[in-house]
Amino acid sequence: MNIPNPSTAPAAGEYAGDEVSAIVLDPGYSTIRAGFAGEDVPKSVCPSFYGQSDSGEYHFGENAIHAPVGGLDIKNYWGADGIVEDWDTAAKLWEYAITTRLTGARPGDPSRNGLNDGNANGENMDVEMEGLENNEKPLDDSPLLVTEPGWNSAKAREKYIEIAMEDWGTPAFFLQKTGVLAAFASGKASGIIIDVGASHTSVTPVLDGMVLRKGVQNSPLAGNFVSDQIRTSFKQSTPEIPLTPHYLIKAKFPVDAGAPSQATYREFKTPPTDSFRLNEEERILTEFKESVVEVWPGPGRFNNGTNEELAKNTPGRPYEMPDGWNQVFGPERFRVAEGLFDASAALPSDTAPAPKPEQTIPRLVQAAIQQVDADQRPMLLSNIVVTGGSTLLYKFSERLNYEINAIYPSTRNKLIAPGSVVERKYAAWIGGSILASLGSFHQLWISKKEYEEHGAGIVEKRCR
Amino acid sequence: MASGRDVRDMLGLPAAAGGGDAPKAVGAAPNQKRPKPAAGSRKIRTSGTSYVFPWELVKRSRLTLIRPEGVAREVAALYGERPPPVAVYEEKKAYRAKRQSTGPAKKWIQQPFTNPVRADGLVLKHWRRKPTMAPPVQETEDASMQEGDTTDTYIESCADFAKYDIKVYMPTFTDEEYAAYLRSDDWSREETDYLLEVVRDYSYRWAVIWDRYDYAPRQHAPETANSEDQALASMPFAPSKNRSVEDLKARFYDISAKLMKQRIPEVQMDADQYSTYEMLTKFDPVMERNRKMLATALINRTMDEVKEEEFLLTELQRINMAANRLDAEREELRSRLDAPPQNQSVSAGLQAFTSSQALQALFQQLFQQDRSKKRASGGNTGPGRLSLSANDMVHTPGSAQQQLSAANRRQSMAQQPTAQTPVKQLSPHQEHRFNVSTHDRLTSGVTFGSDKLLKMRQAKSNVQTQKIGNMLATLGVSEVISIPTSKVGEVFETLVTKISRLLDVRKVREKEEGECKVLLAMKERRSGGGGGGGNAGDETRPKQEIPDSQETPDADAPGEEEEEDEDDVNKNYGDDAEGEVDENDNPDEPGDDAEGEEDEGGFNGEEMDDDGDVDAEGEDESSKQQSRATSQGVGTGQGHKRSASVFSQGSAQSSKRVRK
Ligand SMILES: Nc1ncnc2c1ncn2[C@@H]1O[C@H](COP(=O)(O)OP(=O)(O)OP(=O)(O)O)[C@@H](O)[C@H]1O
Ligand SMILES: [Mg+2]
Repeated sequence: MNIPNPSTAPAAGEYAGDEVSAIVLDPGYSTIRAGFAGEDVPKSVCPSFYGQSDSGEYHFGENAIHAPVGGLDIKNYWGADGIVEDWDTAAKLWEYAITTRLTGARPGDPSRNGLNDGNANGENMDVEMEGLENNEKPLDDSPLLVTEPGWNSAKAREKYIEIAMEDWGTPAFFLQKTGVLAAFASGKASGIIIDVGASHTSVTPVLDGMVLRKGVQNSPLAGNFVSDQIRTSFKQSTPEIPLTPHYLIKAKFPVDAGAPSQATYREFKTPPTDSFRLNEEERILTEFKESVVEVWPGPGRFNNGTNEELAKNTPGRPYEMPDGWNQVFGPERFRVAEGLFDASAALPSDTAPAPKPEQTIPRLVQAAIQQVDADQRPMLLSNIVVTGGSTLLYKFSERLNYEINAIYPSTRNKLIAPGSVVERKYAAWIGGSILASLGSFHQLWISKKEYEEHGAGIVEKRCR
Repeated sequence: MASGRDVRDMLGLPAAAGGGDAPKAVGAAPNQKRPKPAAGSRKIRTSGTSYVFPWELVKRSRLTLIRPEGVAREVAALYGERPPPVAVYEEKKAYRAKRQSTGPAKKWIQQPFTNPVRADGLVLKHWRRKPTMAPPVQETEDASMQEGDTTDTYIESCADFAKYDIKVYMPTFTDEEYAAYLRSDDWSREETDYLLEVVRDYSYRWAVIWDRYDYAPRQHAPETANSEDQALASMPFAPSKNRSVEDLKARFYDISAKLMKQRIPEVQMDADQYSTYEMLTKFDPVMERNRKMLATALINRTMDEVKEEEFLLTELQRINMAANRLDAEREELRSRLDAPPQNQSVSAGLQAFTSSQALQALFQQLFQQDRSKKRASGGNTGPGRLSLSANDMVHTPGSAQQQLSAANRRQSMAQQPTAQTPVKQLSPHQEHRFNVSTHDRLTSGVTFGSDKLLKMRQAKSNVQTQKIGNMLATLGVSEVISIPTSKVGEVFETLVTKISRLLDVRKVREKEEGECKVLLAMKERRSGGGGGGGNAGDETRPKQEIPDSQETPDADAPGEEEEEDEDDVNKNYGDDAEGEVDENDNPDEPGDDAEGEEDEGGFNGEEMDDDGDVDAEGEDESSKQQSRATSQGVGTGQGHKRSASVFSQGSAQSSKRVRK
């Protein structure tokens, strides 16, 4: 008997796999994930933040955006509504994510890849432009599957295919919603997908691989919201907890818990911009989320009176800042994440509007279920897929489970939360990888010819 | 140091390997990081250890001799000198056979292909084995092609996945048909077309259809709308309605049903078609809507409601379980009263002996065994009743079974005294009301109260019995007493006692009267007929005196009063009594007989004189007694002890009679 293992090939016809070297691109607010379909992790994960110098020069990639260079503005191409805002940069950044790790940089098209933007007005460039028509585009060989948020606008969808077909020259293209793909990654064709990412939390009911559009819900209470809550919590604490990013620290010395830090700081000729600092602070906050923040697991809300007392009796979690300042965090570590589930418990922040009750995750789920045909509701509730980086918050699933059971006590509610970090963070990409490597998917691609015939409007018809 | 052969053996290399290979393997063995598994070798002894020291080789070469295949070396080392006789190991742990190398590596190419399902002829590339029959000349061409990627490459048509291209069946209709049958006040033609299109697009997934259904005739026509549609759409038509799933379904099913009927007349439909047709026509949107409302209400129940329901359900379950248990207990009780319990091993064994022949055979067998045993052991049977006698032969299998089941019953009763419910104390009033009586000792088996009464009517002699019967009849006591409760039994008993005492007294009186007459006659004769006026006082005195002397001293006052009360009764039966006087003439009775009767019980000492008279009458009486005892089975409830076996008693009695 041949016991299947990662190195044994599946028997012919065992799965409908037929890889066509498709590339899967899953752009998110925090990172862009790209890789070949059929693989189990995205080969290329690159930050969605990019640097733009005063001269307008783009800096892409992890290394570039974390270098403390003066005059580098750190930006993000996503809009506040969770839809791509800056299309030009988005296209460049995506192309960067694909070409640096997957296809390799192609010769030619230097005017478009952004690398020569600084000196784009040279005479010799124009000469080269003549020969460009025959030049290869970055994705000439690879079909492309791109993911989109469930509430993407029709205009934005057309933009995706335009970029893919015209800028990158892909022979075939498809657009699929992250919710559906995350469900596929968990082996489900139907279910309700709760995706708590960086900028947005979305709840997507999916039936037989199709999004039930009326049920799609989204809210800004996600990873960035938690980060903001942590900042507020730091500010409110007495004395205020300092948030000093790594790049400012030259050397640090051990200090007692709660004592002021003793560190020597770095000097910069041209100090990095505020946006750079914010982004660097965000890195610390993500680390803080990973290691300290905890979601109150229930039963009951965190601030229902007794639970806070209970939380005080649990051992705290220590955290040390880059400058050596350290402290053991007690019940406040629950409070910063409580806003995801209970709007009234959110700390009042001066940068973001106070969350509304209907933006909390339980209310989103309720609203989504409400918009679905009554017959499908129990089925959806028994397939609740949990995905997105912020669901990795400690005890998140427990709390979600408690909340959903409190709303729907009479149905069989089942949470599907993959244990591995990779599967949780990259679920949408993995689902895309599965989908694009299926032989049965061949007939769904939008070909270049179809695009040329019908125009960009074809996405609305084909990618439902 | 191990020989080269050992090492080869350890590495599982074929002994007959090429001369060049073997020394290489030996040389490489100690340093080899990951020895190659050998092909087709029966012993594969390589391991994943990174380094093998020379001295280990010696140790291992010994170990390998006893090490069973498929067991890790470390595990095998734990076996020590004596390996277990049977080793269990997983097959898959064995090393896989080496891949057969058949020449140079196969070449793979990115084969362009088209999917026949696609109309646009999209060419994609997938990895395929390079066709082997290609002549080497072409290979160079291929190489150049791969670089140049010229267009004249062979394009395969890959239909492997064409089967996944499934088109759903849609009802179609012409304009005339629509005009004739499908018109609806609620639905415009355009919206109907749109509905059909959406249904096709989402392959009858109604939840999705409803979700995506967005018919807006004015704002923008559906993408597929042709120019004519657009013209219509711009006309002031029905405004966009908010359609529910049921509305959509109803319209679609209606269209389908009507078209179906149009294509195939109802009478020509086969069973499948007709059931589909029926389903389509029977769709009731209102009912569906109500059902969904109920379903929604069910989902939206609050925690409290769910908890309450859960509580009620557990309660129901509890009640059901209790009811089941009660039923089972009742069933058991019933079976104890009626028939031997079904599930006992004894009864299982008894099944074979339900027929009389089988029982007879069994008895014979046991009897023979018993006899032979007795002969062998010298007839010492001990205190228990271990031997069988011919009298024990049971003639009816039913009664045998009853007896055995009675034994079982007693056994099971003895086994579970604790399982019984605690005794409830009843007040005397309640005891009376529920007719509960307590007994120091219960005799086994079931008796009828009427039997008890019947037995009380019977006296030792026929004459006496008849007399008692007459007396009772005179008193208006019917032959059969309808509800012979124990209380009635008690009263009846006292009555019968009194009657027999009365009869006794009357007998004595008649005797005395007779004597008085004789004496008077003698006196008259002596006095020669003088003074005929006999005084009444003389007459009565001896009557009173004599019973005093004759009767036992415990004769009490009420008895005498009763005697006087019932004087007139005596007179009515005067002739009867006279006839009896003769019989009573035998004054002396054999004492032992009286005792025997007393043992049997039923009558008290006062009657004994009377009984004694009759006893001599014959054996028919005693045999009657025996049969009565057999039928009655048990004692009369007067506190007399009776042995469990009625039969043995009967036999003992009869033997006593015989002795007499
Ligand atoms: N272990 C962790 N614990 C808590 N939060 C985490 C953890 N790892 C990542 N995050 C948070 O998850 C977010 C990133 O998640 P994810 O990659 O799913 O978002 P995204 O898909 O890029 O964003 P969006 O879905 O909003 O477009 C960040 O806010 C990050 O701080
Ligand atoms: Mg995301």
